[in-house]
Amino acid sequence: MMRAEPWQTAEVPYVIKSMPATEARRVAAILKAARRPLIVVGDRIRTYRVGDTDPLDLVLEIARAVNATVNVTGPLIVEVRKRGYEKAYLMPLMEVIDRLRDPEWKGHDGEGRYDLAVFIGFPYYFEWVALNGLKHFAPDRGFRTLTLDPHYQPNSTFSLVNMPLEKWVEFIKEVIGILKGESK
Amino acid sequence: MARRLRIRLDELKTDLGQISGFELQVGRIVEEWEEPEGPTPMPSVHQLRDWDHILLKRYKPVYLPFCDLCCLCTYGKCDLSRDKRGVCGLDMAGQQSRIVLLACCIGAATHTAHARELVDELIKKYGRDHPIDLGSEVFLEAPHMRLVCGIKPRTLGDLEDALDYLEMEICKMLASTHTGQEGDNIDFESKVLHVGMLDHVGMEIADIAQIVALGFPKADPEAPLVDIGMGVVDQSKPVILVIGHNVLPSTSIIDYLEESGLYDAVEVCGLCCTAHDITRYTRRAKIIGPMSWEIRFIRTGVPDVIVLDEQCVKTDIPLEARKIGAVVIATSEKAMHGFPDLTDEEPDKVVEKLVNGEIPGVYIHDPERVGEIAVKAALKVAPKRARFKALPSVEEVVSQAKRCRECYQCVRACPHNLPITEAMRAAKKGDISKLADLYDYCLTCARCEKACPVDIPIVTLMLKASERKFREEKFKIRVGRGPIQDTEIRKVGQPIVMGEIPGVIAFVGCPNYSYGGRDVYEMCQEFLKRNYIVTVSGCAAMTIAMYKNAEGRTLYEEYPGVFDAGGLVNVGSCVANAHISGAAIKIASIFAKRRLRANYKEIADYIHTRVGACGIAWGAMSQKAAAIASGFWRLGIPVIVGPHGSKYRRMLMGRRENEEDWYVYDAFTGERVYAGPVPEHLFYTAETKEEAIVMAVKLCMRASDTTKGRQIKLTNYIDLHKKFFGTLPDDLHLFVRREADIPITMKEEVLEFLKKKGWKERREVPNPTLLKELVGKVR
Repeated sequence: MMRAEPWQTAEVPYVIKSMPATEARRVAAILKAARRPLIVVGDRIRTYRVGDTDPLDLVLEIARAVNATVNVTGPLIVEVRKRGYEKAYLMPLMEVIDRLRDPEWKGHDGEGRYDLAVFIGFPYYFEWVALNGLKHFAPDRGFRTLTLDPHYQPNSTFSLVNMPLEKWVEFIKEVIGILKGESK
Repeated sequence: MARRLRIRLDELKTDLGQISGFELQVGRIVEEWEEPEGPTPMPSVHQLRDWDHILLKRYKPVYLPFCDLCCLCTYGKCDLSRDKRGVCGLDMAGQQSRIVLLACCIGAATHTAHARELVDELIKKYGRDHPIDLGSEVFLEAPHMRLVCGIKPRTLGDLEDALDYLEMEICKMLASTHTGQEGDNIDFESKVLHVGMLDHVGMEIADIAQIVALGFPKADPEAPLVDIGMGVVDQSKPVILVIGHNVLPSTSIIDYLEESGLYDAVEVCGLCCTAHDITRYTRRAKIIGPMSWEIRFIRTGVPDVIVLDEQCVKTDIPLEARKIGAVVIATSEKAMHGFPDLTDEEPDKVVEKLVNGEIPGVYIHDPERVGEIAVKAALKVAPKRARFKALPSVEEVVSQAKRCRECYQCVRACPHNLPITEAMRAAKKGDISKLADLYDYCLTCARCEKACPVDIPIVTLMLKASERKFREEKFKIRVGRGPIQDTEIRKVGQPIVMGEIPGVIAFVGCPNYSYGGRDVYEMCQEFLKRNYIVTVSGCAAMTIAMYKNAEGRTLYEEYPGVFDAGGLVNVGSCVANAHISGAAIKIASIFAKRRLRANYKEIADYIHTRVGACGIAWGAMSQKAAAIASGFWRLGIPVIVGPHGSKYRRMLMGRRENEEDWYVYDAFTGERVYAGPVPEHLFYTAETKEEAIVMAVKLCMRASDTTKGRQIKLTNYIDLHKKFFGTLPDDLHLFVRREADIPITMKEEVLEFLKKKGWKERREVPNPTLLKELVGKVR
């Protein structure tokens, strides 16, 4: 099931499709290369829990490792604040998509545009159209998107591929390890 | 009033000869109406274009393309990705707006064709002079018709002129989607708004016609409670199931049962809006549920005869019916399902052919003839099906589950990514509880079955596992009451405009929910507790009936049906949505005494700046839902959809931080005044129910709110934001105009927040308008 094809079988067609990121070091490199990364976290991330591993903790570990701003779109903001992550903001998905399209938007902190927007935790089809909005209407080629869900999303710039949740947890932990310099 | 004079002779015998089917139309005659005609009777799109552009400057399209291509003509497929244009010259933005327009044209055409059919049939039966009488509390009988067409209808025949206008305009708008026509995305959007406006007139005509002719409740807040749910059907009797939106064939079933004294011998139940309307016709009919219950209920094997009319009828129902041995009667020329037309054959012969299996179904185009055939067929088919068992045993479920290869194709086909494979894995081991867990979230779209490479009937297995659940589905819903009374509007007009009733929330639309129907129930409950006026219609009205509180009562049993604070108002089927937008128009007319007749821009401006209302179409699915939403937008009323609504391809969103977008004119002085982002968006997809609730509360704020009104609205906004997100809203400073707006119990905390934001007091705008030409002319 490790395939770079839309997870929902009918979610086609497209002309420009996402580059599959099948290796953890590739994902880590994309994250590290960003000057101003923004991680947009949806409510469905709760469904990625495997055993005792809370997916929100994994995302916050990535955010800490690359000093990313975290944009939470819903009630999960309460959990993010409880975990003490300071660069966290609440903004619904539609509003953040609208602003990411805008070359004049200076970000949540007013410090300038984000050059990488990372998405995780939305209904598949919802993320599909939101990313397609950015693919066609985000202003310049310097802006990139990455999806970290355990599914291939064809409309981002880079996407993970379809994989079982257990495998996904291992993969994300490997990304974190590389970002922290614990593994190659 | 301007209208045509028509003379129609169906049959005339004289000494000179015989005339049949003669119809003469002579120009137009002018009828007296005390209100002078406004500037835009029966407008073309260009006449209201400036109003549309004012709205679209504030609420810009945010595109979410569903596809990178255009494949509407043979030049294509054309790649529209990024900055490319198709061969015809259209770019991605234009194409998205074009598709939205196309969807709205389909929706408006569907409602208008429905209205035309109702009016034609009802005129045939009751006469063109049948009066438009909506009861003693409704004098403003047709707010949309008066506003858009400048027509004050007195009889069924008066509805025809408005229909002529709608048909012409929808045809023009559809034509503009042809290759090589409109090329500008904003002008496409203006047309979308135009079609939405037309759609509400069409819906209003349809509902008025059926109310006055068929004796539906007339604006009755105490309309009766009736049964709803899969468990309410008496299965010991032959069961006729009606599905769709056009109630006329169903009324003929009821009439035949009553005339033949068979009512107690046959059970009549319905799905989707026909079910709403049949309970408006008789309390003895029962509602099964919304559209998503179609396959669910048929697969239980209960119905003996299935009568299909039009709209939102799954087109594979004839195949499903065949699986359970039920017979099908199609009654609409819009959906004949390949069945033979036996309208003119002897009813007993038709029944014989259906019962002996000679034909699986039949098309009967005369609604008057459907009743006898349906009832006689049910009485004969039911005994033959008495031993029929549609659902498998638990052992059969386990045996089927063992065939599962765990390929995940079902999950990948499921719109909600439901854990079907995990449920099958458990069922293989004899545990069917995980299959039962799917029931609450499943739309019964059956895409999983179509994807299954070994043809496991997944939905049927899920139904068997959930048998206890659905047999206990027994609830109460208030029958659709139709319009809002003029007297109710007189009572609530001022508190709504001043903001003291915090808002009117309309739960409308289809059942394509992302997380099951409970979300809609919980949202509805939250607003009722907080004294909002809650109006409901269509499938949403059914969904909220299907949950009970701790005392075992549904919201309809808990809250009154009045259009007042804390009231839960079920207006009825899809076409009754016109009464919700109509109530906003009535506020402008009855409370504010604005001239209504053909005066669209002024009334829409009034509603947009003063009437705190917001629609929530949490499961919006159809093209009709798109048209309905766009009718609300042109009146300046925001609409929120659930996650699936993002597939409508574009939102209409404001930007609260762009101060220049939020200025209005003071209608007294002409001064341009910053009023804050009220309402912030016109069309918006929410991800979760929490987001939708908080957003709806915010979208009910209006420029005209008094201090007391804004305090009440802010109390709800702050309280709910803290409840769901733990903090004060970050944009709070944009909605506090003066210190007096701050809720007293929250003052200290809010003032501290405002200080950090550098907030300064600003003036209120008691008479806001977006239309410069109204300055000094209205109060």
